[in-house]
Amino acid sequence: MSTRPITAADPAAVARAGFDDAMESKITALLARYPTAQAALLPVLWLCQERYGWISPGIMEAVAVRLGVSPAYIQGVVTFYTMFYTAPPARYVLQVCETLSCAVCGAKDLLALLERRLGIKPGERTADGSFQIVGVQCLGACGNAPVVQVNDDYYEDLTPARLDSLLAELGRAR
Amino acid sequence: MSAEAVLLRARGNPSGRTLEAYLGAGGYEGLRKALARVPEAVVKEVSDSELRGRGGAGFPTGRKWSFVPKDHPGPRYLICNADESEPGTFKDRELIECDPHMVIEGIAIACWAIGAHTAYIYIRGEFVRWARILEQALDEARARGLVGRSILGSPFDLDIWVHRGAGAYICGEETALIESLEGKRGFPRLKPPFPAVVGVFGKPTVVNNVETLACVPHIMTRGAAWFASIGRSRNTGPKLYCVSGHVNRPGVYELPLGVTFREIIEQHGGGIRNGGKLKAFFPGGSSAPIMTAGDVDVRADFDGCAEAGTMLGSGGVIVFDESVDIVAAAANLAHFYAHESCGQCTPCREGADWCMDILDRMLDGHGRSADPDTLLRICRFASEGMTICPLGDAFALPISSMVTKFRDEFERRISTASPRPQKKLPALPWAGQRPGFGD
Amino acid sequence: MPRLTIDGHEVEVAAGTNLIEAARAAGIEIPYFCYHPYLSVVGQCRICLVEVVGQPRLVIACATPASDGMVVKSESSARVKEAREAVMEFLLANHPLDCPVCDQAGECLLQDHSTSEQGARFASHMVETRRTFPGYERRLLGPHIIQNQNRCIYCSRCIRFTREISETGQLTYTSRANHAFIDTFNGTPFDDPFSGCAADVCPVGALTIKEFRFRKRAWRLRSTASVCPGCSIGCSVFIDHHERIVYRLTPRGNAAINATWLCDYGRFLAETLNDQSHLHPRHRVEGKPVRLSWGDALRMFADELRSARTLRVVASANLSNEELFLTRELFGRHLRGEIVVPVHQGQQRRMKNGRGEWLHSTDAHPNSGGARRLGLDIVGEEALARFLYGAADLTVILDPDAHPFLATAEALRLVKVGLSIACMRSEHPIVHAASLMLPVPTLACNEGTFTSSTGTVQRFDMAFPPPGETRPLWIVLVALARELGIATLNLAGPAEVFDLMAGNEKAFAGLSWEDLAGTRVPSRLEQQHVG
Repeated sequence: MSTRPITAADPAAVARAGFDDAMESKITALLARYPTAQAALLPVLWLCQERYGWISPGIMEAVAVRLGVSPAYIQGVVTFYTMFYTAPPARYVLQVCETLSCAVCGAKDLLALLERRLGIKPGERTADGSFQIVGVQCLGACGNAPVVQVNDDYYEDLTPARLDSLLAELGRAR
Repeated sequence: MSAEAVLLRARGNPSGRTLEAYLGAGGYEGLRKALARVPEAVVKEVSDSELRGRGGAGFPTGRKWSFVPKDHPGPRYLICNADESEPGTFKDRELIECDPHMVIEGIAIACWAIGAHTAYIYIRGEFVRWARILEQALDEARARGLVGRSILGSPFDLDIWVHRGAGAYICGEETALIESLEGKRGFPRLKPPFPAVVGVFGKPTVVNNVETLACVPHIMTRGAAWFASIGRSRNTGPKLYCVSGHVNRPGVYELPLGVTFREIIEQHGGGIRNGGKLKAFFPGGSSAPIMTAGDVDVRADFDGCAEAGTMLGSGGVIVFDESVDIVAAAANLAHFYAHESCGQCTPCREGADWCMDILDRMLDGHGRSADPDTLLRICRFASEGMTICPLGDAFALPISSMVTKFRDEFERRISTASPRPQKKLPALPWAGQRPGFGD
Repeated sequence: MPRLTIDGHEVEVAAGTNLIEAARAAGIEIPYFCYHPYLSVVGQCRICLVEVVGQPRLVIACATPASDGMVVKSESSARVKEAREAVMEFLLANHPLDCPVCDQAGECLLQDHSTSEQGARFASHMVETRRTFPGYERRLLGPHIIQNQNRCIYCSRCIRFTREISETGQLTYTSRANHAFIDTFNGTPFDDPFSGCAADVCPVGALTIKEFRFRKRAWRLRSTASVCPGCSIGCSVFIDHHERIVYRLTPRGNAAINATWLCDYGRFLAETLNDQSHLHPRHRVEGKPVRLSWGDALRMFADELRSARTLRVVASANLSNEELFLTRELFGRHLRGEIVVPVHQGQQRRMKNGRGEWLHSTDAHPNSGGARRLGLDIVGEEALARFLYGAADLTVILDPDAHPFLATAEALRLVKVGLSIACMRSEHPIVHAASLMLPVPTLACNEGTFTSSTGTVQRFDMAFPPPGETRPLWIVLVALARELGIATLNLAGPAEVFDLMAGNEKAFAGLSWEDLAGTRVPSRLEQQHVG
């Protein structure tokens, strides 16, 4: 499985974005699924994050206008959920599960490897912006512990050696 | 008792996911049968099967469907809860991976039964792959007239949409899920009113787990009596047990509801890894009282677990061998619940945070003699109605049971060393702010 | 109407009443933080737990409607006391020991409820480091609000206020669980026109008023019932004062007009009530202002009135009904002068009443309604200028703040033609035109009534006696009438003036001065517990 890297959009470009026609037509299609505009919020935010890589204040404002709620409201929703990035992410976000089954099945060893190989801990990112580590809660793949989610993709039944190979593969990918 | 694969019959067959394969295996016959009967008859069939919710609460499904008021002008909604975030639980993604059409068919039958023309599959944000699988399956179904206008040539219209969450365990709680679906922070609602009467968009709503819905087509094709013949009274049907932790063969196992934990752990899970010994296990995800090795002969069904002072919950069996430090496990869970608390109500927000601090301090070597009883006090006042939703109970039950059943491990952490130095507090995880506009 | 029993006391309430209000009707106080009679119910704080006989678990009183035959136990239940003690412990677990430096002290619900809900021998085993929010401990959230997130108890009242009442939606929770905090969007200022109300509804010192910060301990303040002078809506307020200084205006409950709210414009007029630079009567001698006694000043005034053939009076829609009535009688009927009441249409002001309806006003005065109903001539700027044009023997300006036009150079020029007498309070350019200047105090040192835009007559009381030699205008007018020998206007106090009005004017028929004080005005501390 080859994981797609994230290309975070330039902040200046997304401030006060307003949506182009392609986005607009997707948003309109989403709005048709719900009786209220507000219910389309999470799908619209996903659309924005897929397009821009993160949710900037400018995007929050544009979404607020589009859906008819206050920008503060959007901020409240965006920051409630852990998966929306409110700062440009690294190209590969290594989400390491830290909860019970993974914890007792070697998650610590994976983190140790990541620190050895990349020099960073959870909450940090590499200087070249290619990797960042986030400690996350149960990913729902406990039978294949320990598990790491890289961007959209699950990598399961990991050992430090397998994780090492994965890093190498991602590092080579362009 | 049959060990027939019903729910996971397509597992192991990579092309078993397609509509063709599903139809070939007799798929959508249940929907056809349901549409030929009145909705009340479908509700009765499911009630007679004694199917109980597979998401964790174990509420009788037919009874939940019957709570939808008949005289309400509508619209009504069905929500498939695919938020699967309970630690130790990974069965719903297995179902979606192997047989998404079984889930879709179950949704469609449920919609017919309660009079809903719109259903949403609320799937946790991390399950990107499985959301795509569902989208593809829905595309196939729409193309074949199984979803959309006048499904299967009947006058029944039905839309099913996939709606992704974005990282919040609390959104597995049905009212928090509804809030999230409405485009808000996932704050559980006060009950009453209950979702069947006032749900999403203020309308009657039924929220059912993926596995629960996957059972429904089989109840329709093979009958309630067949379903009820698996397991025992009020604990019927096949169940997907998730086994994880220190076993040789972790994974999802479809077994008749009510086998013992011994059978699950030893026979199917392959016993403790490296020839070790069982120390403790969680029977149904981490939000239930922990069980010790002496509890392996408890029946893994709703009533069996309740009689043993725990809960079957989602059926996520987490197994610990003797290498596990119970205090560390408790701390791990405290971190989980403190992180996942929505923050609305006082006992959960403060209590989970406080438990986490105490347990971290004990692991750090600065436990105090009052700590075990303080933990019990916190758990007592974060459960049994003190909170808006059961997340308080979800941390109180495991932590208090660990303190009670493994008290000596906690006592051993009490130190006579000097008090802990000032804790270094982490930076705010969301720091998009400039402090004060006038500073 | 359901009939229920609370702690052994029977009470009958309207259908749909929640148990907090039902208990209040029975004279029992159930503690609460997140509940507010004018905001949505969220049931978050969990302090209002009560026992309902027959139900296995405790329930929250705010979200439980009273039903017939219900038996409720609050303080009489040991389970309830235990539960509330624990909730208080949770709330105090991460709450900083800020009382000595926190403005909320003395009017803080956390202080109040921890005293009543935690037993005298209660001791918590909480020894952990409290969570803090660096950078959010004395943060200027908006032009009038200082935030200290460490003190926040997450009741969400402030957020609900901005969503449901002021409708700006400017406040939100950000992040989640034990690191959630209150914020505006992306650091933008909290410039909601009702931002002060967010500090009012905050039960603790997480949101406080910048202008009031560290100035006075709440328990030192005396609260006097008054009416906001900012516009014609006439919101009920308290003037909170100590030792003859006004420290703040706070809202007073009035379901018909302002619920428990006050807009920022009105609220921050508080400082103008301390703006008093004229303390003694003065007249011009060779162009310079010289002090004289009240006796001399009134005699001078009366002389001018007797000898003037043409008299014009600029009254004001800021004056009380009593003052306007006396003005009309004295200067109008008896002295046959011409009177105008200028009314300035300014910025639109809004207020939400207790039914959630918006009231609007662009009328910048508290008593245009009174002036209109007394039959006085209401004029705008142009007509005012024309009124002042040309020579009259005597011009009397009863209130320099009657209209912004009076502060202009043009007005000064017009008024300087001929003789003029002005009632003065603060620094105002019109003083240069006046040959006799009489000192009057601010609203805080007066008493009387205003008539609001909705036609409601409302009384305002005297917070403290007039400073220096200032005299409220109604006293000046009565004294002047006495000097001129007009017996019918020789009245002892505003009550008598009001009763005279009530007897003669259709607009005041059936009202009485005593009744307007009417239902006992809740004290400031009682207010704190209401909302």
